[in-house]
Amino acid sequence: MTKPYAAEPRDIFFVSNSVNEMGGITSWSHQMARLFSERGHRVHVVGIVPPPEGRVHELADDLPFRTTTLYSEHPPSVRPVRGLKDRLNVAEQRRRAAREAGMQQQAAKMSALFRAAKPGGIVIVTQVWAMEWVALADTAGLTVIGMSHESFETCRKSSRFGRVKRFYADVDRMLTLTREDADRWIRQRMDNVGFMPNPLPFFPDVPSDRSRKCVVSIGRLHEEKGVDLLLEAWARVAPQHPDWTLRIYGSGEEAEALRKLAAELGVTSSVEWMGRTSDVPGALRESAVFALSSRGEGFPLAPMEAMATAVPCVAFDVAPGVHEIITDGEDGFLAPPGNITEFARHLDTLMSDKDLRDAMGEAARENIQRFSTDEIVARWESLFALVER
Amino acid sequence: MPDVSVVVIVYNDADRLPTAVQSVLDQTLRDVEVVIVDDCSTDRSFEVAQQLAATHPERVRAFQLPENSGAGGEPRNAGIQHTKGRYVMFLDSDDVLEVNACRNMLEAAEDTGSDIVSGLCVRLHKDTRNQKRDEWYSWLYSTTRTIESVTELPDLFVWDTLSTNKCYRREFLIEHDLRFPKGMFYEDLMFIADAYLAAKRITLIPNQVYFWHVFERAAVKSVTNRRHEMTNYAHRLEIHRRIDALLAERGLSEMRLAKDVKFLKHDLVLHLRDLPFRDESYRREFAELSRDYLAGIAPEAYERVQPIQAICAYLLQQGDWDNLIPAVDTLINRDKVSSPLAEHDGRIYWCGGHFDDAFGRQVLDVTDIGYHEKPVNQLFLRNQLTSYRASGGSVTMAGRITNPLGVVPPDAGLKGVLEFSARRRSLQSFQFPVRTLRHEGDTVHWEATADLTAQLRPLGIVDTIWDVRLRLDVDGVRTTTRLTVADTPLAGGPPVRPRLTRMVADHLEPHASSKGHLAFRLVSESRNAERVQELITRGVRGTPGTLAKTGYRKAKALRKKVTSGDNKLRAYHEVFSRLPIKKRTVVFESHLGKQYSDSPRAIYEEMRRQGLDFEAIWSYAGSPKDFPKDVTLVKRWSLPYLKALAQAEFWVDNQSYPLKLTKRPETTYLQTWHGSALKNMGFDQPSLKAQTRQQQAEQQQSLDRFDRFLIRSEHDVHTLAKAFRLKERTLLRVGYPRNDALVRAREREAELGHRERGPLAAELGIPEDKTVLLYAPTFRKAGGRHGRFELPFDVERFADQFGDRFVLLVRSHYLNHVVLPPTVQGRVIDVSARHDVTPILALADGLITDYSSVMFDYALLDRPLVFFTYDYDEYVHEGRGTYFDLLEHAPGPVVRTEDEFHEAIKSFESQSLDYAKSRKEFVAKFGEYDRGDAARSIVDQFFAQWSR
Repeated sequence: MTKPYAAEPRDIFFVSNSVNEMGGITSWSHQMARLFSERGHRVHVVGIVPPPEGRVHELADDLPFRTTTLYSEHPPSVRPVRGLKDRLNVAEQRRRAAREAGMQQQAAKMSALFRAAKPGGIVIVTQVWAMEWVALADTAGLTVIGMSHESFETCRKSSRFGRVKRFYADVDRMLTLTREDADRWIRQRMDNVGFMPNPLPFFPDVPSDRSRKCVVSIGRLHEEKGVDLLLEAWARVAPQHPDWTLRIYGSGEEAEALRKLAAELGVTSSVEWMGRTSDVPGALRESAVFALSSRGEGFPLAPMEAMATAVPCVAFDVAPGVHEIITDGEDGFLAPPGNITEFARHLDTLMSDKDLRDAMGEAARENIQRFSTDEIVARWESLFALVER
Repeated sequence: MPDVSVVVIVYNDADRLPTAVQSVLDQTLRDVEVVIVDDCSTDRSFEVAQQLAATHPERVRAFQLPENSGAGGEPRNAGIQHTKGRYVMFLDSDDVLEVNACRNMLEAAEDTGSDIVSGLCVRLHKDTRNQKRDEWYSWLYSTTRTIESVTELPDLFVWDTLSTNKCYRREFLIEHDLRFPKGMFYEDLMFIADAYLAAKRITLIPNQVYFWHVFERAAVKSVTNRRHEMTNYAHRLEIHRRIDALLAERGLSEMRLAKDVKFLKHDLVLHLRDLPFRDESYRREFAELSRDYLAGIAPEAYERVQPIQAICAYLLQQGDWDNLIPAVDTLINRDKVSSPLAEHDGRIYWCGGHFDDAFGRQVLDVTDIGYHEKPVNQLFLRNQLTSYRASGGSVTMAGRITNPLGVVPPDAGLKGVLEFSARRRSLQSFQFPVRTLRHEGDTVHWEATADLTAQLRPLGIVDTIWDVRLRLDVDGVRTTTRLTVADTPLAGGPPVRPRLTRMVADHLEPHASSKGHLAFRLVSESRNAERVQELITRGVRGTPGTLAKTGYRKAKALRKKVTSGDNKLRAYHEVFSRLPIKKRTVVFESHLGKQYSDSPRAIYEEMRRQGLDFEAIWSYAGSPKDFPKDVTLVKRWSLPYLKALAQAEFWVDNQSYPLKLTKRPETTYLQTWHGSALKNMGFDQPSLKAQTRQQQAEQQQSLDRFDRFLIRSEHDVHTLAKAFRLKERTLLRVGYPRNDALVRAREREAELGHRERGPLAAELGIPEDKTVLLYAPTFRKAGGRHGRFELPFDVERFADQFGDRFVLLVRSHYLNHVVLPPTVQGRVIDVSARHDVTPILALADGLITDYSSVMFDYALLDRPLVFFTYDYDEYVHEGRGTYFDLLEHAPGPVVRTEDEFHEAIKSFESQSLDYAKSRKEFVAKFGEYDRGDAARSIVDQFFAQWSR
């Protein structure tokens, strides 16, 4: 490891799509902003646009850092120009011009913020969409770090792929979530890529004792979270374990369909729909096994939290971040993506064997501390030092 | 102390030196210094170096050796002495570093504490239009990894022998006194071997760090390009010897073996490839040098290289020149058969003459390549030019074509033409008849005269290179050969008259191409022409030429685009699908067009039998041979195919038409499917379950095209129909038309009281008294280049054991293929190439399979089955999972090992009775609707109204 850099206060900017949009990026950036503030850095969280309706994350009043949102409302969205037809579309062209002028204007606001920074300042761009504004702003004298908060594979299937390659090509460092993702970006000939894991959101004083016969799943009820796969797997193990229940925390557009599926699979009586919870630590403390059934992930926080609570996980190995967090057979189990037979087999193994649960749970609580906030902050500090050398 | 010192060495390269140095100064890591060492250049190199030092006094220092050392080693040694940084890297004056190289190397080194960090080196061909790049052993650099000793990764040691794409801890270099050998080529090899072995920890990173600029056309070729020089080879061997000694000293025999493998695969091949172009004395000296070194190479190394590489090394060591030179032809031209081959004790050998040497037999045994099974049109035969004479306007040539294993029979009708064609495709070609063709020993001798002046009219400029091929016609089957020049002197080229006037060129000059084949170059001999040539060159390189070339490339790209898949799809949806439906047309397809077989065939034949009035269109992929003659044949994915599908009234298929083709509502799609399911299918497969809803919806769209889906049991309903999410009304519970023949065969057998053999038995030459077994395994991802499937048992042992009682038919899955040795001829027969499996099933007295759906069909015959599931656990747990437990339901013995398999064959007859009950249950469960009338019932239901 690099020696931890003797921290001197820096100006650190986080630039995201929004300051307070519900979701992983906001929780992560606010956690990091808080951690950096605690170490004496001057932190400023910048959002390009306000969050969309209904996706507002309520912020506390006493944030130890500044926040700024550039646009007061979302700028007009435009499609990229394709072919002659688009070029002749006057209305669309006008919209595009307006958008570009607006972008210059907002970037200028950002430039003013950046210019006020002392030498050694850092700009951390958490999403590539926001980078389009940072690219227009004046970042002279600052280090720009671009982040991709998702797995390489997920990004490759999305429109972000091309934009990451374009807008992050010249940043001082691009960061992915894991070494494996970084290597894949490097093979796309992005030679400025490193990686930075997410920090552990919390570390409870009291772990679970894994005696309550309950498997828990926490997440939005969205198809990406794969709760349908979890129910199918559950239907294979539930009959052998009549004293166990599956608790599903979360809400979302799939709620109705999933209840119907549970009924079709005949597991209604063993599944408890808990709705959204504000007490994740409490929910985890009451559980013995955590199930992560997602179809796609980056560096998921939920299993990290479960492991911190000494609850072993069963997960589909859908991203490098997942097997970075869970070591198969040591502090949890991994199944190939979509393989519900294997997923069910792993659930069954943990449900049938209290000793194994205990051993894996304790191992999980121990192992997950390599992502403790101290560790991750130290990594950031040495990264700041590296890009200055 | 700087973080990194980069030692830049230079010799007579004043022009490029600043670029190299600048690439260091521009590094994202700032604290990097440059140490320039000039190998006593005779140009301005040192002056330039000093200027750079003066401009960047803090970062650049320049040194000069007192006298020229002749290689890169000494300057680097000197450079190391002057470095101050914690880490050291090397850079040559004509190359550059990637801009993040130092930062990435440093980060990796500090993270891991490694002595050496190595990154990806990229060779950039600076003379090519788009700077063609090739990555130096990129497979070593696919991920970041750290090894505690190079013995963990012998491939790194033997393949990546560059010193330049690496970053060394300076203390490490000093401590181990690591230096480059003095005044030798391949100085990197020795240095890096020492360094690798000394390193306590090595980290590899996937980042590109070093751009190696390659200038192919440079007047003075660099060392590695001048590999034909004998000293070069001698140096190489010397370095290898020293490294071998190093490895022996440390007792690293595994590493030695890996190095031997690399020597056979790489070092020796580099020099062997030049051999056909060298004279006798060179060859002798080369052999002399090699023989000694080859003697020390481990025999195991020969097993780990490609057969032709091992063969060449063996023949070289044996001094068998007559066989070696043709073998090198195959080394250069991979697919060529350059030796007459020899059959000995039922095995095929590259050549005779070494049968008394057990090792020789092992190396020369090429049975597994399967040359003996290929027809002449699938062989690329060596054709050696034996004489070349130019007189006046014509060229008279003679040569001999290798005739391996007599693939060209002595009594075959032979015809031949010499074809001259411009190397640039789609330009003209000219043909000349071959005068004489006759057998001579194990070759076919030919003679031809080509009146080039009179008949070959090049355009000029655009077609300067002309290739020559001899197309040989053997009883109507064609094979194409190239003319290998070998040692035949080529003198004199005939005059020609290019259509663009003789100003551009006036002669054809013969030469041997880089692959050793005869070719002609358009040249001009008159002084006038030279001047014109110069003008043209200027034109071609100038603006008008560039414009013309860009235009040509654009036109080519456009043509490619027009015929691309996307545009074909557009043609299908926007043009063909707007044409009216053609009544009474059916497009049939079986296994993606690869076969004329299965239920689509059975339905088609039933329609013909009933004499219906309709137009049958069959889709084929590959060869249209073996498809019926009285139908319209369309090649899969061709425009006629798409048009036929767009206008058809019916689609009848057993797998899938191209997924992206939308079916018109007026068209009825009968999906016959191709087998009941053991393993998870459709949306029951994990890979599909893991997909997002949108991806699943796209899949579903192609499945929703099925209007009717054939079902042969309720098992299909629970598995296939559910997995494809088919609606109940699409299900057609009639059984499989392809199985009608099997049900009838069983009924007839019961009626007659004995089994009748059809014409197939005679066709395959199976004697009356032999019992016929069929081995039909399921598809496996084969490792080999051609999807070759390795039989899980020793087929020769099987034939020896059971050949007196049984004939074994082998049918691999249609995407795999097997090669059988000639020893088993008549006892084991490959029936994979036959389109239709049904007659083979009907012929077989017993079936051996693993998980193939053929088990469900064969069970209808009520004959014995053996399940040879040697990889059961892997198949069931690691694969996609199964619908039921085969071990529980199998209507025959399930065996895992070759010995168990033999036991099961020995007790073959008694099993027939033992498993009678479970076979009945199996058929009831998986084939209840197969009643022998599926084809008729389908034709009655859908096509009856088409009777004349």
